[in-house]
Amino acid sequence: MHKLKATNATRLLGFILLGLFLFYLSNTVDELRVYQGATVAMYVIAISSIILLTGYSGQVSLGHGALLAIGGYGAALVRNNFNAPIWIAFIAAILLAAFWGALLGATAARLSGPYLAGTTLALAVGLPSIANQFKFLGGEQGLIFDIGLPPAWLGQTFSQYKWFFWIAALTALIAMWWLQNLLRSGYGRTWRAVRTQSVAAELAGINIARSKILAFTLSAGLAGLAGAVLSMTISTVSPGAFPLSLSFALATGAVLSGVTTLGGVIIGSVTLVAIPEIADVVAHQVGASENATTNLPGLMVSGLLIVAVLFVPNGPVEQLKKKRSK
Amino acid sequence: MFQLLNTFLIGITAGSIYSLMAISMVLVWRSTRVVNFAQAGLAMLSTYFGYEIIHRFDSYWIALPVAMIAGALVAAGIELIFMRLLLKHSSQGAIASIAPIIATLGLLGLIKSIIGYFWGNQDVIIESPLSNVGFTIGTQTLALSPMKTFIIAAVVFMVLVLTFIFQRTNLGLALRASAYAPEISRLAGIKVDLVRTVGWALAGAAGGAAGMLQTANGNGALSPDSLEFSLLLAFGFIAAVIGGLDSLIGAVIGALLLGLVLAFVLTYVGGSLVFITAFVLLLVVLLIRPGGLISQKAGRRA
Repeated sequence: MHKLKATNATRLLGFILLGLFLFYLSNTVDELRVYQGATVAMYVIAISSIILLTGYSGQVSLGHGALLAIGGYGAALVRNNFNAPIWIAFIAAILLAAFWGALLGATAARLSGPYLAGTTLALAVGLPSIANQFKFLGGEQGLIFDIGLPPAWLGQTFSQYKWFFWIAALTALIAMWWLQNLLRSGYGRTWRAVRTQSVAAELAGINIARSKILAFTLSAGLAGLAGAVLSMTISTVSPGAFPLSLSFALATGAVLSGVTTLGGVIIGSVTLVAIPEIADVVAHQVGASENATTNLPGLMVSGLLIVAVLFVPNGPVEQLKKKRSK
Repeated sequence: MFQLLNTFLIGITAGSIYSLMAISMVLVWRSTRVVNFAQAGLAMLSTYFGYEIIHRFDSYWIALPVAMIAGALVAAGIELIFMRLLLKHSSQGAIASIAPIIATLGLLGLIKSIIGYFWGNQDVIIESPLSNVGFTIGTQTLALSPMKTFIIAAVVFMVLVLTFIFQRTNLGLALRASAYAPEISRLAGIKVDLVRTVGWALAGAAGGAAGMLQTANGNGALSPDSLEFSLLLAFGFIAAVIGGLDSLIGAVIGALLLGLVLAFVLTYVGGSLVFITAFVLLLVVLLIRPGGLISQKAGRRA
């Protein structure tokens, strides 16, 4: 027992050190990188919600973009209507998305594999048209989500992007710390048991449906948080910000990270942010046509996804572990 | 009364196109136990081949069969090169349940970017070969144009051909046997792998036809980011699942049902609720009959 506490404390210390390092880093790189850093933090939260859902509880969601949208709208509504502080808006995003996640999870628990994938996919396709219907969601234009200027005590030179990054990174760190503790707890073990041996888990007295619904709810809450962070960085929330390709990008990120390794999540997130950049450089290098330039990022993401599924299906971290143990 | 008839006709036309898409998903599911989310991409690619033919030879009637053949060849190629490799590599661990889903999504993205590279991301137009203006009875305009009549006739013809292949030929027997019991079929001397490729090819042809017909039925615009194809994918999938994923007849019934329900909602309730209706219909069917309307087995293990 004593040893366990010590490791918990060291992990917390590790997270704090990582946070301090990130904040130091945010002062040394230029604006664009800081902004990209905020996007990476958003992806970290979103992808880890998929890792929780798929890697641990064994459910598939191709519609997490829809849950991100719910979170984004929730945060913006609370912020705009009640002038709530940013952290309350974030909590509202989590609760709202988790509520819908629980409803969705109750149906999802009865579906398996391709059925669940298709149902969530249908949700992601249909969501923009649903959001367009309601006046208070702002239609096509969406809503403004303005978190305000950075507080004055941070100094005159402190930029808006850096403020975004600080909030996003801190949120991601807290979310990661919570999630990795959760996955190490009895819940994490239960989910893995349900995923790998559902019959044995049921015989051992685990309520499978309840465990799956819980995983879906928590995953949706995380996704909602990611949606709020995403809306913060682009200052608006609109149907167009959550296209089907976002859902696919998250699934890609999860596979690149390795669906069962939370630690790999940074790999997937950085890759997703880096690919458009790399594609841009490559396209300029070869002086490609406009068609090539616009389609290169998509080509690289999909190509990478296929290569990953074929050759490192369980993610780079898992692959390394396997190599070492051989 | 007249509105009722028109709504019915619109539903049947849309439903028949969905049924081709649903059939292509069912064919792949039966042969490989994979829901092919790349099917929309394949249909789109075939339609672009069709567009190219129309561009060169100025004939929709040549383009339609060419698009179907191209769809069949590409689908067979994907099964041969890609799916076999995939099923060999990622069959264990947490990934096993989602690898095929993720991989077909990757394919969808790949196909879209390839299309964008060759044809650009702007709309290209496929002109409808027949008039899209409805027949008139007295002063009323019917929601049935020569083009829509052709679409319904073409789909009925294709479904009949497929049924004939499945029920009356040795190939159909092999297709049914290897879907039902692959191990025993192998022992009985059926080349299960080859049959699987044929299943994909048939699916590709059906998808190609669905793409060509859908594009000519709508406003004729075609682009890699087209919402039409996302909807075709989503509705085709919903129709296939309503029908039971395993049954061709089920796919057709599911698609017609979906087409009719959506048309009636569109006319009598409003366009805003169409998608929610489709989604709710899917959930209701799945909750009441998890195996779909036409399910052969009592429970599903997959």
